[in-house]
Amino acid sequence: MALFETHGPFDGTMSIVYQCPQCDYQMAMLTNRAETQMVRSLGVKIGGRQVAAEPMETLRNNLAMPREGISEPAQVASQSKCPFTGVVSQAFDSAGNPEFTWTPQAKKRIDAIPPFVQPMVQQNVEEFARQNGYDVIDESVMDEVKGILGM
Amino acid sequence: MKTYHDIASDGGSKILEQVTEQQQRLKARLASVRQIVAVASGKGGVGKSSVTATLASALQRSSYDVGVLDADLNGPSMARMMGVRQFTPQVREVSMTPARAHNDVAVMSMDLFLPADSTPLLWRAPSQQNAYTWRSMVEMSALREMLSDTHWGDLDILLIDLPPGADRIHNLADLLPDLTGVIVVTTPAAVAQMVVSRSITLATDVAQVPVIGLIENMSSFACPACHHTEQLFPAAPDTKALAEQHELDYLGSIPFDSRLAQSLDHGRSFLSEWPDSPAGRAIKSISDLLIMRLNL
Repeated sequence: MALFETHGPFDGTMSIVYQCPQCDYQMAMLTNRAETQMVRSLGVKIGGRQVAAEPMETLRNNLAMPREGISEPAQVASQSKCPFTGVVSQAFDSAGNPEFTWTPQAKKRIDAIPPFVQPMVQQNVEEFARQNGYDVIDESVMDEVKGILGM
Repeated sequence: MKTYHDIASDGGSKILEQVTEQQQRLKARLASVRQIVAVASGKGGVGKSSVTATLASALQRSSYDVGVLDADLNGPSMARMMGVRQFTPQVREVSMTPARAHNDVAVMSMDLFLPADSTPLLWRAPSQQNAYTWRSMVEMSALREMLSDTHWGDLDILLIDLPPGADRIHNLADLLPDLTGVIVVTTPAAVAQMVVSRSITLATDVAQVPVIGLIENMSSFACPACHHTEQLFPAAPDTKALAEQHELDYLGSIPFDSRLAQSLDHGRSFLSEWPDSPAGRAIKSISDLLIMRLNL
């Protein structure tokens, strides 16, 4: 089986799809949001650690509202040989640097929909933005998605 | 078909090895610290932080190298009390610099990482929903890092100001097997002593942490002008009896003095300002006793 594609992380969970190179059979592995968060709370690196942890790495990485002047630790690419944990580690590390900028108005529209479908809608909107080369998701992007997907 | 027990590794994450490395890092950092003493109570509002700050100052004035770790991550106050609220820790090679208080006490506190007095401690997560399942775990990791990654240097004593909660001593002992002991603070109030008594039992019987002694804070009110003292809790139980009940040393009592609160509110050293006040003399006396007990 070879890594085919990944989805997420969205709302703390992600799926990793593997495909058989011979018959195209696909299987997906999913991460559990609570378990992933708990392991990361221990200050350990999923997929293994190749370089020593930076000083107060967990603290600085996880503070939601740090003081100005508190630097974020450098992200080190995972060199895990495991086709699952390495991908998970990489994806969650880069999740700290979001691919898209959501304007407050667009975010407000996401927040207005029922919480249990928010991750799915956000995923669809971001996929649409990715396909169309948008970096910023504003209300006009949301309107375009709405026109196409009927949301 | 393999079962769970047939899985030989954790997918290359080597979690156990990483946790062991964390413990070794902690041990290596604290190898240059002679004594590690927690200041605890179990009960909130008895003045643990005030006692920690003034004891640190007294020990420093006796020419000892002192560090203070504020282990109250959600209600940090030590940075303000020690006058270093504006200091921002910086990475220095493999550690972070602590603040240096006016009397050269090394200070590390969560307060030094937060932007404003009104900013709560909030951890980054995909969702804050059900955060109770992991919050205490990330806070324990942060506390471990504050111990292991602060450039403490050579210290005679590191004081750890614990937050309220009878379980805190137990948790710290799990994290720090080399903890020298705990100083327990109470007030004469019956309710405080009830909670403190429970904490002492947990510390001695379950966590098996040595309790260095008991301090009675806010024992009386001393008039700043004539030094006449009045009991603040006239019908209160005898704190010395509580110490005897648990076979602990009674380290002394500190009278209430509003000037102490004023000094700490403004980050000034109370002992530098009022060394001969009843509270100042009491703190000095407890500090001297501690030096003797710990063979500093």
